[in-house]
Amino acid sequence: MLRLYFALTFGTVLAAAAPGVDFNREVRPILSDNCFHCHGPDSATRMANLRLDTEEGARKAIEAGNSAKSRLFVRVSHAKKPLRMPPPASGLSLTDAQVDTLKRWIDEGAKWDEHWAYRAPKRPAPPVVNAKSWVKNPVDLFLLARLEREGLKPAKAAPRETLIRRLSFDLTGLPPTPEEVAAFVNDRATGAYERLVDRLLASPHYGERMAMEWLDLARYADTHGFHIDSHRDMWPWRDWLIRAFNRNQPFDQFTVEQIAGDLLPDATLDQKIASGFNRNHMINFEGGAIPEEYQTEYVVDRVDATATVWMGLTMGCARCHDHKYDPISQKDFYRFAAFFNTTSEEGLDGRYGNAKPFLPLPNEAQQQRLDAIDAKTEARRAELDDEVIELLLRRWQRERFDHVPASPVRGLRAWYELDGNLSDISGQFRHGRVLTGDIAFGAGSIRNGANFDSATVAEFPASALDVSRPFSVSVWVRAGRQQGQPILQQLELSSGGMKGFELALAKPRTLPRLRRGHPVEIRLLGGDPGRALIVRSRDYVFLQNDNHHLSVTGDGSGRAAGLRLFVDGKPVALDVVQDTLPEGFRVEAPLTIGAAKAGAPFKGRIDDLRFYDRPLGEGEVEQLAVRYPVEVVLATPGKRNRETAGALRDYYLKHEAPEQFREAYRELLALREERIDLVEEIPTVMVMDEAETPRDTYVLGRGDYTQKGEKVLPGVPAMLPPLPSGEKANRLTLARWLTSPEHPLTARVAVNRYWQMLFGFGIVKTSEDFGSQGEPPVHQELLDWLAVEFVESGWDVKGLIRLIVTSAAYQQQSQVTPELLERDPENRLLARGPRRRLPAEMVRDNALAASGLLVKTIGGPSVLPYQPPGLWEELAFGEAFTAQEYEQDHGDKLYRRAMYTFWKRTAPPASLVTFDAPDREKCTSRRAVTNTPLQALVTLNDPTYVEAARHLAARVLSDVSARNDDMRLRKAFQLVTARLPQAQELRVLRGALAHQVGAYQRDPEAARALLAVGEKPAEAAIEAPRLAAWTNICTILLNLDESVTKE
Amino acid sequence: MMTPEHELLFTLTRRHFFGRAATGLGAAALAALLPRAAQAGGGLEGLPHFAPKAKRVILLHQSGGPSQLDTFDYKPGLAKHRGIDLPDSIRMGQRITGMTSGQSSLPVAPSIFSFQRYGQTGTWVSELMPHTAKIVDDLAIIKTMHTEAINHDPAITFFQSGFQQPGRPSMGAWVSYGLGSENENLPSFIVLLSQAHALNTDQPLFSRLWGSGFLPSSHQGVKLRSGADPVLFLNDPPGVAKDTRRSILDTIERINRIKHTSFGDPEIETRIAQYEMAYRMQTSVPELMDLTKEPETTFENYGPESRKPGTYAANCLLARRLAERGVRFIQLYHRGWDQHNDLPRDLRLQCQGTDQPTAALVADLKQRGLLEDTLVVWGGEFGRTVYCQGRLTESNYGRDHHPRNFVMWAAGGGIKAGVRIGETDEFSYNVTADPVHVHDLQATILHCLGIDHKRLTYKFQGRHFRLTDVHGKLIKAVLA
Repeated sequence: MLRLYFALTFGTVLAAAAPGVDFNREVRPILSDNCFHCHGPDSATRMANLRLDTEEGARKAIEAGNSAKSRLFVRVSHAKKPLRMPPPASGLSLTDAQVDTLKRWIDEGAKWDEHWAYRAPKRPAPPVVNAKSWVKNPVDLFLLARLEREGLKPAKAAPRETLIRRLSFDLTGLPPTPEEVAAFVNDRATGAYERLVDRLLASPHYGERMAMEWLDLARYADTHGFHIDSHRDMWPWRDWLIRAFNRNQPFDQFTVEQIAGDLLPDATLDQKIASGFNRNHMINFEGGAIPEEYQTEYVVDRVDATATVWMGLTMGCARCHDHKYDPISQKDFYRFAAFFNTTSEEGLDGRYGNAKPFLPLPNEAQQQRLDAIDAKTEARRAELDDEVIELLLRRWQRERFDHVPASPVRGLRAWYELDGNLSDISGQFRHGRVLTGDIAFGAGSIRNGANFDSATVAEFPASALDVSRPFSVSVWVRAGRQQGQPILQQLELSSGGMKGFELALAKPRTLPRLRRGHPVEIRLLGGDPGRALIVRSRDYVFLQNDNHHLSVTGDGSGRAAGLRLFVDGKPVALDVVQDTLPEGFRVEAPLTIGAAKAGAPFKGRIDDLRFYDRPLGEGEVEQLAVRYPVEVVLATPGKRNRETAGALRDYYLKHEAPEQFREAYRELLALREERIDLVEEIPTVMVMDEAETPRDTYVLGRGDYTQKGEKVLPGVPAMLPPLPSGEKANRLTLARWLTSPEHPLTARVAVNRYWQMLFGFGIVKTSEDFGSQGEPPVHQELLDWLAVEFVESGWDVKGLIRLIVTSAAYQQQSQVTPELLERDPENRLLARGPRRRLPAEMVRDNALAASGLLVKTIGGPSVLPYQPPGLWEELAFGEAFTAQEYEQDHGDKLYRRAMYTFWKRTAPPASLVTFDAPDREKCTSRRAVTNTPLQALVTLNDPTYVEAARHLAARVLSDVSARNDDMRLRKAFQLVTARLPQAQELRVLRGALAHQVGAYQRDPEAARALLAVGEKPAEAAIEAPRLAAWTNICTILLNLDESVTKE
Repeated sequence: MMTPEHELLFTLTRRHFFGRAATGLGAAALAALLPRAAQAGGGLEGLPHFAPKAKRVILLHQSGGPSQLDTFDYKPGLAKHRGIDLPDSIRMGQRITGMTSGQSSLPVAPSIFSFQRYGQTGTWVSELMPHTAKIVDDLAIIKTMHTEAINHDPAITFFQSGFQQPGRPSMGAWVSYGLGSENENLPSFIVLLSQAHALNTDQPLFSRLWGSGFLPSSHQGVKLRSGADPVLFLNDPPGVAKDTRRSILDTIERINRIKHTSFGDPEIETRIAQYEMAYRMQTSVPELMDLTKEPETTFENYGPESRKPGTYAANCLLARRLAERGVRFIQLYHRGWDQHNDLPRDLRLQCQGTDQPTAALVADLKQRGLLEDTLVVWGGEFGRTVYCQGRLTESNYGRDHHPRNFVMWAAGGGIKAGVRIGETDEFSYNVTADPVHVHDLQATILHCLGIDHKRLTYKFQGRHFRLTDVHGKLIKAVLA
């Protein structure tokens, strides 16, 4: 009963224009959904050698005009359940209405028709209507003809306030200002509406609004998505997108540039950037992943996105087998994939930001600096003639060959060379020992070194170090990846806490791009938190996986001033964290490396560990860190490897070469640093390219990258027009094919999506699927008319939008009667105007715009506005990568349009997702519109909205033209909804205001607490209770159904 | 099956969050339009497909891939193979990850942990899980789980959504979509996260794991977080007292009603109802999170960490409270099970943090009679290799990802306690009897809830998608 009821309702909406059963609208969907799975295009799973997706096949089961003799009808209506089709195991079944449709279709002659969407659209003659006066343009003719057939009447035109708000959101994504509303309402000259449309289409925010739709399709995001999900930069592509819409780039060119901009002859930078459309997919570099597996996924994603966006085809369904419903074979899928499989990309990439291939985008100043650095580098390099240096270097080595490596020995209490054991070679016999695990000795800074995994603990005698007297520690360290770790500890547990000495790497800092650097800390702990001496390197950070020499010297005073830290032989500035070590501090514990007495255990390599009972001088430390390692290399006979040879050359050119060479070398090093810093500043964008040796493409068995079958060449499915002959089958040809006027899908799919953007539903509701399983168009003639018009207009997007929004249908008011709601609940026939909740971005932008907080800067890198703490961190890998910790922006960046919010795919912006924004992992053609309590919590409590409410309150309270509370309420109401409140609404608000004012006058403390939300300071000139009360009034306004709705 | 009529109906009503299709909706037209559209709880018509044994699920996901070799899959014979290269006859050329494919050898690393038999079932359990050992007779243990992916992202995505690549709905979203909620004041799908006990670097999680894919976004899992706002933006801003908030909401409703009178859009009625639900959540969630009324014994049972919000132990306790309140799908994620190196230390830490609360949860549910209709499932996205990653020493080893066999257990509603499923070879490297695929487990979980996994579908891009793709057989042996 239920099914029947709905079939009728739904059927009514989709019913055909002509009497009788329409094959494409009514029959094909039934066959497709219920029969094609076993009797469709996929030959591998076809049953009973019967196919119902082609006329020839279906005729075998149909006798036209006689349902009783048609096997098709006999089987679907069979009285015996086991014999009835579809079989029970399929989980499918036909409703009585569907069976009846099939019967009538056969009895009426079983007229077959090609799938509507694969025939190129022809411009139909607009129908004749009765109520001609309502019609504003041909769009209305098609809609009205249908309404008249249904016995329905269009709704009245919406009031101007409603119209301007509807149009402003639809064309710019922003609400109108009160001045704009007034100007339009008062413009009584003819053509006021059209002038408004033109003004909005010319707004620079038009490009942003159009880009918002496209970003979902393009699966745009600011992170890579898979696994680590670190940062990428595609915003230059987003900027290009906004520009392209704003200059109304014709849709065919827009298409060509995004699919193959890089292949255009003499491609401009912009055209290359445009090709980034197909680099917006997710990218992986999970440790251990297999490159080919992911490179295959990238190509599959490009096929999915390209087919969905331009053709409304679900090509992805043919990845593993022939398409079950549409005439797309598995081979077709891989032929289409072959277009996108020839880039120079790598399977695993993106660790350091953008993945290859990408383009640097220096601005003019940056390019000039880059050129200057390169010129200087060239000149300096020429001064360092390789042959001369080689000769000098060899001579110097000969001279130094006999030298014994020298290092300070006075005051040496213990010296662990760590070349294979823990022996002390100072002569004091303070040998170390392994406590747990075992040490792997391998190549080190000085000959061999000791590798610690985090299960290894080594111990050295307590007498090697006494930090309560003058001392030095000298050690080479290569630190593995940890959240922060002690290197060397001399700790014991006392009643109040840890007591003793630690040399440690503190919690890492995030540096530009990927790097994580640990400040170095020296800690003398007095046994409870109040007693300690802690100093920390101010600027210096120890980069993970780097190798450095650390020296700590102390004068035994127990004061911060007495401690020094040297890195690679040079002193580094220290910050004093705490300087409260009591007199008489002593520690007698053994020294350990790798023990997790506090913090994570050490993981990494230690070499040449020495303890002295005096502070070493600067020269001595430099000797240990800089010269001694070189002397060891020089004194070690045998062949040098590249690393040691390089180290020698470096040392020689820094310290020993003639002055002119040293100077040239110094400057070269400085130039290199400068260039690295500069290159880091220059944004890049990922683009498409063609590899020098393009990859071959194969049919993959079950879609699995390991199951390579037949090799295929680029091509398109046979049901679509052929590629132009004589052209190279590449992306550029594909793009031109897509935009050729004979292509049956591209224009239809595009105009349908713009219809969807404006009315909430496409003429084909399944805007992502124009295939056999998609919903047939509710107004096919209109769709075809628009598609032809679009192509013939020169693919003029603004023109198309202007055409649709200037129709009478678009301008209707959106009130609905119970009768109409029952007849057409989804408003597919458009007997009323569209009424839908605003998209996520506009909900936020409306609040910010109404309050005056919105910063309308267009384009640029994404921003990090308010977000509850921990949303990234609780999921993220956490270290050594970008975009793992949310570092909220401040100032203007808090108030940018929502479309610029940093989109981390594994933790997308919470407040936007709550309002149905997608995670952007895949191409999304239409968003759901849900209505949930979590949305209420966002607009009531998210600091963004609380602050916007406060700012809106301050705005109306500071408005001198609003002289009393009623005027202020009207003003605020209008800022949020574009209209003035009715008397009844005003009365309710007045009452609420009195209540709020009373509450905050009784509790001014609460008022101040509320006003402290948000980083923008509260308007000091307004007393707190009044501003707080008005803030809540504005919260009420921002939470009205009307505020978050386009009506 | 999702017919277009259903789809229409659901885009029209969009009331899945608490699933209340018609409650509080005055629009007669709408009511007329939606005869028996959805049940009181907001699920689909016709669901459950048959009488359910379980009304809800608690999925204890151990993210990273716990080692089966050091917990439940006892292989005493491995000692004699210690340090030898994994025989080709066992590996059989099967692919391994990029992390160990470059190793010159794949030395066999026996577990250093001791095993004992427990319970009437005489089940082998390692010393790492003394508490789980005590409830082992309540569990159905599957030793032969296998999956298709060998790395975290695809494997965990596959486990949660039935597909290795992003884009499909998660298990909880499917259940929420199919069955709706039993509690109108709490979401039907709740997610609780806890951080690693292990010291080594942890694996990330992704919001897609509780995402709704192509289902309406109201079915995505709602995170319950420790801290001031257990649900995002739950608390009123500072300075907004309860009665102030009430007055704000009353005003919003009054103006919305004026709007509804003139516009007739049922969406306005829905919004009014959702604001009321938001208000009720502001009471129901803090009440849920408030553990002060739990007796001392609760904390003793769940262990000392259960007092610390955000820990796995605290989340286990919350899981029980959520089950008591009828939340349909309760998903815990505990991070830190990715023992590529330092396994002896880190796996011990992981178990110390989770064993007691896990066992306490099962015992607690049982004692309260809730285990009868609550299905509890424990496990990760894959297992770990018998061969050592990195250097094998006396005291230390690591294990790489292993998709071909791993251990999961299930207990409670619909599950036969005490059954043991599957056999693995002596290296715990291949299944030798009764393999159980991830899709099989998914089909079985749905079955316990009274859902035929082949019939819970959603049409998207022309295809009727389901959690188990085109696969999945019931694991009949575990069914009660």
